[in-house]
Amino acid sequence: MSLPSEYLNERNALEREILKHRPSDVLQFSYNHFSKRLESQRQEFILGQRHSSESGTGLSNPFGGTSAPSNKKVMNSTIREEEEHDDFASPTATSFPPNARDNSNNMASNSSGGGGFGNFGNFGFSPSSGSSSNPPPAASSGAMEHPQSFPNNYNMNRRTSVSAESLAPTSADDSNWKAPQYPKTADQVNRLRDAVAHNFLFSHLDDDQTAQVLGALQERKLPTKDMRVITQGEEGDYFYVVEQGQFDIYVSKSGKVEPGADGMGNKVATNGPGTSFGELALMYNAPRAATVVSTEPSVLWQLDRVTFRRILMDSAFQRRRMYESFLEEVPLFSSLSNYERSKIADALETTKYPAQTPIIREGDVGDKFYILESGEAEVTKRGEAKPLKHYGKGDYFGELALLEDKPRFASVTSTTEVKVATLGKDGFQRLLGPVESIMRRDDPRKNEKK
Amino acid sequence: MAPAIVQNISSRLHRMSQSAADKENYTQREDEKTKLAEWEAEKRTLEPNEVAQSPDEKPVGHSSKYLRREDFDLIKTLGTGTFARVWLAKIANRKEKDNNKVFALKILRKVDVIRLKQVEHVRNERNVLASVAGHPFITTMVASFQDSDTLYMLLDYCPGGEVFSYLRRARRFNEATSQFYAAEIVLILEFLHDRQGVAYRDLKPENILIDADGHLKLVDFGFAKKVDNSKNIFGAVLNFDADTKTGETYTLCGTPEYLAPEVIRNTGHGTAVDWWAFGILIYEFLVGQPPFWDQNPMKIYEQIVEGKVRYPSAMSQDARDIIGGLCTVDVSKRLGNVKGGSATVKAHPWFKNIDWDAVYHRRMQGPIVPHLKSADDTRNFDEYDAEPVHRDPYTKELQSKYDQSFADF
Repeated sequence: MSLPSEYLNERNALEREILKHRPSDVLQFSYNHFSKRLESQRQEFILGQRHSSESGTGLSNPFGGTSAPSNKKVMNSTIREEEEHDDFASPTATSFPPNARDNSNNMASNSSGGGGFGNFGNFGFSPSSGSSSNPPPAASSGAMEHPQSFPNNYNMNRRTSVSAESLAPTSADDSNWKAPQYPKTADQVNRLRDAVAHNFLFSHLDDDQTAQVLGALQERKLPTKDMRVITQGEEGDYFYVVEQGQFDIYVSKSGKVEPGADGMGNKVATNGPGTSFGELALMYNAPRAATVVSTEPSVLWQLDRVTFRRILMDSAFQRRRMYESFLEEVPLFSSLSNYERSKIADALETTKYPAQTPIIREGDVGDKFYILESGEAEVTKRGEAKPLKHYGKGDYFGELALLEDKPRFASVTSTTEVKVATLGKDGFQRLLGPVESIMRRDDPRKNEKK
Repeated sequence: MAPAIVQNISSRLHRMSQSAADKENYTQREDEKTKLAEWEAEKRTLEPNEVAQSPDEKPVGHSSKYLRREDFDLIKTLGTGTFARVWLAKIANRKEKDNNKVFALKILRKVDVIRLKQVEHVRNERNVLASVAGHPFITTMVASFQDSDTLYMLLDYCPGGEVFSYLRRARRFNEATSQFYAAEIVLILEFLHDRQGVAYRDLKPENILIDADGHLKLVDFGFAKKVDNSKNIFGAVLNFDADTKTGETYTLCGTPEYLAPEVIRNTGHGTAVDWWAFGILIYEFLVGQPPFWDQNPMKIYEQIVEGKVRYPSAMSQDARDIIGGLCTVDVSKRLGNVKGGSATVKAHPWFKNIDWDAVYHRRMQGPIVPHLKSADDTRNFDEYDAEPVHRDPYTKELQSKYDQSFADF
């Protein structure tokens, strides 16, 4: 007669534990083991029951049942105020009794959800080796609700991973890729610039990247009405800006276009010149969320994902390599590894100065280091008639400020429009620690002064 | 007759013609199966310097020339992805005593991997899993193997299921539970980043399983990638991609709510993306949903690049502080990526009650220990539809073009 598998499983688990811990007092150890097993099994049983009583509410609001009508708007507009406005964000907030701040809606929704989450509070943990360290205080297992400001339609399902095409920077694979450039009039460029200005994917670009992206937009003519530009549910590769004409946008509830006359679903909007659609395709390949159809002969500008992301990647990659090669020239950083230099390159910030602007003033206490990315500058000192030095691309200055808090020895003034990359002392220390200790790694030879 | 059967018969005939070699292979296979069963009985986690050994020298993580699909009985589907299916598996024709030895067998069709342009990701996954096999909180790839049209990864079975399921059931975890799980994840990230130079790139509750003892196992290394080798003090042999020498990579991947701002903006990213995602994860543990969300994914990304996290009023100050430090848009200021790396995360006040040595050696009792009837209990996994019958063939053309890429699988 065979023993129940449940028993064998428990026995095996105990044996594994005994092998692992080799206790001196086997009986006490086994007693502790089973007492813990019993506790966790009972807790899980409770959890399982809660689960079954909750079935079917997979899409409910974890913040309770309040359905503020303008929830989405609240979400988007109060982001900034949230923290300052938080009446209860005092250091003692966690000691409010659970649910003290809940409104009745939340209470109701929690209890209908199969008991308050406070039930879960008994999942404390403790070291199994019987040490005396206290479990952390069971803080804030309640009163997490902030009913008015969280979206109440959070999708509680399993989330799918996304990925775009694998890209390697141009200079790394020698293919010498250049973004395609399609000629446009100044008017067209301006209209395109306006059309994408509100879109965060474009608003973070620098002038150079923007010029490349706008140049890469390609004209697409739609000679008649009723032409489908994108189809809901299909793979998305392009982003579009409307130059001329009108487009109707349809959304089908099933997530894709169904056969038949009304297969595209309901018309939800009409787009005219200056509007854009399909921007998610610039991130990765996701099914289109709507169908877009021309209602008259029209003209679009289109841009594909790989081109867009390559422009971003190549310019980021080139800038980073440029910074790294500049940094290699700085004696102060000669002991840094490539990895550390790349971390500093991450932290450099670009600033632009018009011609004839002071960048460093003699006598000020400096806390920043500068690399001249483009343009020219000169060094002057009070009492000296002529500039002491001229700086061009790749030259650096102010690095002693990373070491000591002495006043600047001379002034540096731009002679043309310049772009400088800067790094503050605090930024450097945050990433790599004190400059002195970095320098001590090297042989004690003095870095020559510039 | 179905083509699959014809193929099967012909390959069998082919094998019979090489009976001498076959006999030797048979011995090797039996030997491997015995070792698998032995490993399963103990499931010993390795010390950090053992994990760092070459996969050929440690008990787990090697590429097997002998194992075959027929060496396993597939019991039940545990999960499916866009191009993979994971099965609960037992050794075929097993001895009575091996009846309770169970594995998770991840099966990937080469043709699907190619169609979905995931060849690089799958190679990365196998190589990273081989080099980390034996870590206490990462799924152990016991072995990998392949046949003419399919790739296999034999993994340990985590009967507790996904942390995701427990979190959704409980709505949110209390602070102690969140701290316990977060602490084990810190040790995973510390190991991956500092020892292996690997960015994981898809941290989320769906990818964290609970093992029989209530400890975590990180699974699904499809997006994991070596980005930096400068700190791998054990000098494991690695293939360098063009862009791995500098610690940054550019391919957008991950899960929308967990993407870091630098991934969205495509300015190059490294291991710092995992610290960002770790902040999102702690938030989701404590609150029940991630901080940035909208029905329109573009609006999620807009919120992420702005990086303004709102906290529920009752969240503790320490929790706000660690989440805020991790979810910092500027990578040069992000907790975990600044001087000191993972040590600064471990030293954060939110973790002040954590004994890190006890965590690594699994001396802490997990807050949820799955109750199981037997070793092959699958109650903590959802039901999945049967595998679709239709399958694209792995043609000769594809084979000649791509099989080289799978050579060391």
